[in-house]
Amino acid sequence: MKKNFPLLLVAAVSAAALPAAADETSDAINSLKEQIQALDQKVRILERQRELEGEAAAAKAKEAPKVTVGNNGLVARSGDGNFTFKLNGVLQVDNRTFFNESHIKGNDGFLLRRARPIFSGTLFRDFDFLFVPDFGGSSAQIVDAYINYKYQPWLQARVGKMKVPVGLEHLQSDPVTFFSERSIVTTLVPNRDMGFQLWGDVAEGRLSYALGVFNGVGDGRSTSNSDFEDHREFAGRLFATPFKKSENKWISNLGFGLAGSWGVFSSHANGLPNGSGYATDGQQQYFAYTNGVVADGAHWRISPQAYYYAGPFGLLAEYVVSHQEVSRGGFSADLEHKGWQIAAGWVLTGEDSSFSGLTPQKPFDPRNGQWGAFQLVARYAEVDIDNDAFPLFANPAAAASGAQSWSVGLNWFLNKNVRVNTSFSRTTFDGGGAGASAPGSVTRQPEEVVFSRVQLAF
Amino acid sequence: MKKFLSAIVIGAALVGAHAKDIKLLNVSYDPTRELYQDFNAAFIKHWKAKTGDNVTIQQSHGGSGKQARSVIDGLQADVVTLALAYDVDSIAEKSKLIPADWQKRLPHNSAPYTSTIVFLVRKGNPKGIKDWDDLVKPKVAIIPANPKTSGAARWAYLAAWGFALKKYDNDEAKAKDFVAKFYKNVPVLDSGARGATTTFIQREIGDVLVGWENEAYLALKEFGADKFEIVTPSISILAEPTVALVDRVVKKKGTEAIAKAYLEYLYSDEGQEIAGRNFYRPRSEKALEKYGDKFAKVNLFTIDEIFGGWQQATRKHFADGGVFDQIYKP
Repeated sequence: MKKNFPLLLVAAVSAAALPAAADETSDAINSLKEQIQALDQKVRILERQRELEGEAAAAKAKEAPKVTVGNNGLVARSGDGNFTFKLNGVLQVDNRTFFNESHIKGNDGFLLRRARPIFSGTLFRDFDFLFVPDFGGSSAQIVDAYINYKYQPWLQARVGKMKVPVGLEHLQSDPVTFFSERSIVTTLVPNRDMGFQLWGDVAEGRLSYALGVFNGVGDGRSTSNSDFEDHREFAGRLFATPFKKSENKWISNLGFGLAGSWGVFSSHANGLPNGSGYATDGQQQYFAYTNGVVADGAHWRISPQAYYYAGPFGLLAEYVVSHQEVSRGGFSADLEHKGWQIAAGWVLTGEDSSFSGLTPQKPFDPRNGQWGAFQLVARYAEVDIDNDAFPLFANPAAAASGAQSWSVGLNWFLNKNVRVNTSFSRTTFDGGGAGASAPGSVTRQPEEVVFSRVQLAF
Repeated sequence: MKKFLSAIVIGAALVGAHAKDIKLLNVSYDPTRELYQDFNAAFIKHWKAKTGDNVTIQQSHGGSGKQARSVIDGLQADVVTLALAYDVDSIAEKSKLIPADWQKRLPHNSAPYTSTIVFLVRKGNPKGIKDWDDLVKPKVAIIPANPKTSGAARWAYLAAWGFALKKYDNDEAKAKDFVAKFYKNVPVLDSGARGATTTFIQREIGDVLVGWENEAYLALKEFGADKFEIVTPSISILAEPTVALVDRVVKKKGTEAIAKAYLEYLYSDEGQEIAGRNFYRPRSEKALEKYGDKFAKVNLFTIDEIFGGWQQATRKHFADGGVFDQIYKP
C-alpha cells in the first residue's frame, strides 16, 4: 500500500484535473471550428468576388467593339451593334475560248472580269451604306454607291447608285449566278442607275416590293453617275414568296413576281442599249442600231419572273419586253424587243440550292477526302428583235433579228468563298452575217464559246 | 400574261390569309424569370385563341436599373416590367420612348402585383435574426444586391432606412448611421437580386439574404424548406414593380395592340392567379383570397410616405455622391 501511494496520489490528482482539460480541449475545438468557418467564408467570399469580377469583365467585353474575320469577310461591330463596318470582295478571273470562229479573231484570252472590294456597314443602327468600286475590265468605275435608311423591314429608303429593280437574274448577286455571264435576256433590262427607291418586305418577308425613280438608262446600261437629259424613269417590282415560312421544303422556296419600268428619252443615243446594241453570252454584239438612231419617246419594260428551289434543284425563269420609241432623220418607230430565259441547276453533292447561292457541306480538303460541292447547270434563252427595226434603224445585212442561246456548265464550289466554273454556250442568230466587223462578223456563224472562271468571293 | 397576273393576285391573297407571327420583347428585372415564363405561356395561348396569331415572347432579365439603361440605349423592348417606377420614369425622361404620364394608363399606378422585402436565413436561424436591428450586429454577414443597379436592393435599402427612422424618431443622422452599419456587414454586393440569391444559396455565403419576398419563397420551393427559412421583419416597404408599354417602339414595330393586351392581361383573373402562384402579392380580391394566407402579415409603409416618392429618394440616396456612395466603402 505504502509502495503504491505515490502512484495513487498522481492518479487521483490526474482524475481531478480531467474535466478541466476536457473543457479546454472542447473550447479549443470550438474555437478552431469557428476559425475554420470564418476562413471558409473568407475563401467563399473571395471566390465569389472573383466570379463577379469575371462576370463584370465578360459583360464589359460584350459592350466592347468586336472585330471578326471569317468567310463573311472582315466585320467590325460596336458593342451595341448600332455601328458596323464590313469589308468584302469579289475577284473573278475568266478565260474565254471561242470555237468555229472563222470570221472573227482575237476574242480568246484571260480577263479580269470583276475585281471589287465591297465596303458596307451601318451607322446609328438604321442607316446602311454600300460602296463598291470595280477595278476589273478596262477601267475603274463605281458599281454601287448608296445610302439606305431602314425605318422598318417593310419600309426602307435608298438613294444613290444601285441596281434598277427589273430583271430577276440581274438582281441576283454576281458571285452566285448559275453561269459566268448572265443570259442575253438580261441585256434588255437596265443595269445600275442613279435614283431614289422605296422598298421593303411585308407579311414577314412573304412579299417584297420596290418602287423607284431614276435618271433612266438604256437597256443593259449603267449610269455614268450623272444624268444626260431631263426626264426620269420609274421602276417597280413586286415579288412574292408566299410559302417562305412553310416547313415543306418543296414549296417554301417558290417565288414569283412582276417588274417593270417606264420613262421617256428625248432624242438621245444614251437611251439606246449599251453600245447601241445587244450582245451575246460571249459579250459580242449581234444587233446594233444604225448610226444616227436615238432614243426618242417612251421606253417601258415589263418582266414577269419566277424562281423555284427545292433541295439541290434550282430553277429561274423570266420574260422581258422592252418597248422603245426611236427615231432617225425624221423617221420614228415604236420597237418592241422580247426575250425569255429558263435556267436550271442540280447540285450533284446534295447541298440545298437557293437564289442566294449554296454552301458546300464538305469544303475542299483533299487530305481528308473532301472535295466541295458540284453543280450541273443548263440554260436556254432567246431574244427577238422587233422586225420594224429593219432596215431604217438597223442594217438587216449585218444585225441579227433574233438570237437563241443554250448553255451547259459545271460549277465547283470548293468552299463558301472559292468557286470554279466552266461552261459551254452556243448562240445562233436570225439574219445578219454581212460585214467585216460586229455585228455582221459575229452573226455570220453561231457563237460557240467555253467560259472558265476562278472566283473568290467573301 | 393574264394567267401570270392571276397567279400573282392569288399568291398575294395567300400571303394575306396567313396567321401572323408576332414577336414581343419584355424587358424585365432580375427575379421575374419564372413569373413571366408562366405568364407568357398563358398569354400566348390566350392570344392564339382570340386572334389565331402566333406570338413569340422574348424575355430579358437583369438589374432593373441596367435594364432601363439598355432600353434607353436602344434595346427594342415592346414592354418593360421593371422593379421600380423610377426606372420607367428614366426611360420616359431620357429617351422619350414612353409618355411622362405612363403610370396613369393602367390600374394601381401600373403595378399589377406587389411584393416586399424579407429575410431568408439558414435553417434554424443560427444567428437569431428577427428584425432589422439584428442585421447590424457584429459578425452578421448580410447579402443584399447593389442599390446602384438593382431594384430589389433599392427597396431593401429604403426599407432599412424606413425602419431606422421609425426606431430613432425620424433622426436622419441615426438612420444614416444604421444603414452604414448595415452595409458594413455586406461581404459581397451583387449587381442584381438573382445574383445575390446565388451568392447566399449556391455559394453559401452570409447569414441572411435581404431581398424580394417572392424570391425568398421561390428559394424555399426550389432549394427546400429544410435548408432555409423566411423571417419577416416587423416593418418593411410596399414594393410596387411597374409595367409600361414602350410606345415609340410598338408603334414602329406595329405591335401596339398586342403589347397593350399583354400588359392588360396581367390584371386578368388568370394573370393575377399566375402572380399569386409565383409568390407576388396579387391585386385582385379573388387571387388575394386564394394566395393571401401564404404571405406573412407585415406592417408596410410606402415610398411616398417616408421618402416623398422615387425622384426624391433617388436624388438623395442613389445618385452619384448620394448617401449610399457616402456610407458604402467596399
